[in-house]
Amino acid sequence: MRTFSGKIWALIVGFLLITITFMYVFTDFLYEQLYVEDTEKSMIEFGERLATKYKGGAVSDELIAEIEEHNNYGVFNVIAVRNPRELSACVPFDIDYQTLIGPDERSQLLDGNPVMKIGYEERFERQIISVILPFTDENRLEGILYLYYPLAKISELASKEVVLLIAGVVLFSIMIGYLVFRGLRRIMSPLRELQGAVHRMSTGDYRARVAVSSKDEVGQLSEAFNQMAEAIQQEDEERKAFLATVSHELRTPISYVKGYSESIQNGFMEGEQRDEAIGLIAREANRMERLTNELLQLVHIDTDKADEMYPIALAETLRDSVALIKAKAVEKEIGILLKVDEDIIIEADEEKIRQIFINLLENAIRYSNKGTSISLTSMIEEQSAIIQVKDKGIGIPKEDLPRILERFYRVNKARSRADGGSGLGLSIVDQLVKQHQGTLHIDSELEIGTTVTVRLPLMEE
Amino acid sequence: MKKMIVVLLMCIFLISGCNEERFTKIDSHQPFVASVNILDPSLSFFDNEGKEIAVWDFDVAYTGAALIQHDHVLMYGHDLTEAHLYSLSTGKREAVIKCGAGTTNAYYDEQTERFFLTNSKKNTVTSYNLQAAKISEQKLYNYPMSMASNAGLLYVLNYKDTILSVLDIETLQVVDEWEIPKSSHGIAILADQHAVWIGGHGQGNRPNDTIDVYNLETGKKQKEISMPLMPVGISTKEQEVAVISHGKSTLYVAAADGEVLWSQKIGANPFATTYFEKWIIIAGYDDQTIYFVDEQGIAKKAKTKKGPFQLLAREDTR
Repeated sequence: MRTFSGKIWALIVGFLLITITFMYVFTDFLYEQLYVEDTEKSMIEFGERLATKYKGGAVSDELIAEIEEHNNYGVFNVIAVRNPRELSACVPFDIDYQTLIGPDERSQLLDGNPVMKIGYEERFERQIISVILPFTDENRLEGILYLYYPLAKISELASKEVVLLIAGVVLFSIMIGYLVFRGLRRIMSPLRELQGAVHRMSTGDYRARVAVSSKDEVGQLSEAFNQMAEAIQQEDEERKAFLATVSHELRTPISYVKGYSESIQNGFMEGEQRDEAIGLIAREANRMERLTNELLQLVHIDTDKADEMYPIALAETLRDSVALIKAKAVEKEIGILLKVDEDIIIEADEEKIRQIFINLLENAIRYSNKGTSISLTSMIEEQSAIIQVKDKGIGIPKEDLPRILERFYRVNKARSRADGGSGLGLSIVDQLVKQHQGTLHIDSELEIGTTVTVRLPLMEE
Repeated sequence: MKKMIVVLLMCIFLISGCNEERFTKIDSHQPFVASVNILDPSLSFFDNEGKEIAVWDFDVAYTGAALIQHDHVLMYGHDLTEAHLYSLSTGKREAVIKCGAGTTNAYYDEQTERFFLTNSKKNTVTSYNLQAAKISEQKLYNYPMSMASNAGLLYVLNYKDTILSVLDIETLQVVDEWEIPKSSHGIAILADQHAVWIGGHGQGNRPNDTIDVYNLETGKKQKEISMPLMPVGISTKEQEVAVISHGKSTLYVAAADGEVLWSQKIGANPFATTYFEKWIIIAGYDDQTIYFVDEQGIAKKAKTKKGPFQLLAREDTR
């Protein structure tokens, strides 16, 4: 009885047994109340009509005969009794004889009231309903009219078939018990399946799914489970892919570093060739450093969710970002046009905001052609600060746009890593913007340019 | 503390008050007939005009009584372990008799100035003197009850047996035993006729409808007098016998030789009859009424308390 279905089964069968018992008792009660009451009433009516035959004086043989004549036609048995011994007339004396009526009934009859009795009567050797009416003459109890009717109790009715009755009840209970058991099994089977699936999940099998066969609570639960399993599986796959990508990204510079350093060590490279190799090693080491830095940054963004936020003047931060990136732009002969709204105040982590725009500006510079220009503008629109970084670079193909924010996603997979992109920059930007309750939107057209729009909430007054 | 003392004193007063229970005095010159009521344990006293003189209400369940001499009444109860002797003129209890439970009847014999108590638990008869001291006791048959005495002999009917015991009234030694029907009740001795009249209820569901007359000396049944149904109360005066049959609520008045002189339906389920001055008194158990009857019929009637079962009559003996 430790299983849930076992408990429900016991509950249902228990209630069923209680119901059967209650119905039995209640039926018996109703039977007594209605049947007995009704019988008593008609007995009194009949008896009172019959009692009118008595006109006073002693109860005569003729009267007795006339009354007992009714036994041939009537529903009730009726006897007229005048023997004072039967009427408890000797009651002050010790009588070793079972009288038809007792002293209490006698006094009730003497008061002119009918007596009603239900119960076992030794005289008739059975349960009877009886009504006794007095024949009184000047306070004298001359006789009585005794009407009786066998009271067949339900239990007595069934007494012959009592084995059948009990067997019926037992069989019925067993049958109901079995049906309830089967029904519960059916109802509980999705739960059992779900339990199995959860178990499989816990052992690492994320492909575990359950069949949804109903729309009830259990069905909804199964569906929710399937969604959860789907999400977990996807997450797991992403994690694996991420790890694979990270390993892959690191393997290339490591193999460069390993190859060139071994060559130098073994003396295969000399002079200018060696210097060039050392430069390559340094570059690849830098790339690895940057990559690990950015990975660390990503992890940081994931873990430190809510950093301390302060009101900052956005214009100032944007100018800082531009100043920091200026050298790279100059190197590539790219001009940066800054047009900022000086009044914008946002609540933010200044370091992170700066990081956002450095990343965006770096990207813009990286994918712009020499001699073009980049514009950085900020304005207020609908309680938000809108910051746009617009370049006239190579643009992003339409089919790549939806995935541009994924980690390690690159538009040109074949492109040499020499152009510096780790594939994490936009991912970091996206995370940081989200951390500031902002949105990131990228519009791009191939060979025309890209516009990145960042929308950040203004500080509330 | 003061309150407690007051309450205590009141309790003592109440208790002593109970012990000093005193009923209405009955003037010793006052003739009366009294009904012993057993459903409302009480004595109802009436004068010869049918006027109620006094009612003694008891708080113990007495089931019978006997007049002792002129001024005392002995009250007993079948379930009581004591019988009590009251003085009529003072209304006070004068003696307690530790007789044990089961007392069925009390009988006073004027000649020997003794009274006798029959007991259904011990199946005995016990004699007492006027000082309520036990004299002797005799074991009898099942349920001794009705008693009568004559010429130094005590006649006891064993109610649930078929034997009448004849005892020496002084020693209570059994002198003779007669065969009688079961459930015999009511006995009267007509010494001049050498006859003993015995009534009874009958056996089982068959009611008795005769008075059986036995020979006083031999104990042989001489005749049966038809007096239906269930004649159980017998009273005699001079050469007349009054018999009450409770089954048909009928009073039969017969001559000493057994000839029924007249009869009349009276009361409801009467058990007791007695002669009182010029009347025959009948007590109707079911209708709680006593009737003053003569040959002309019912002259007076008076209500008693519930269950008048016995009658005690005291005539003016001045």
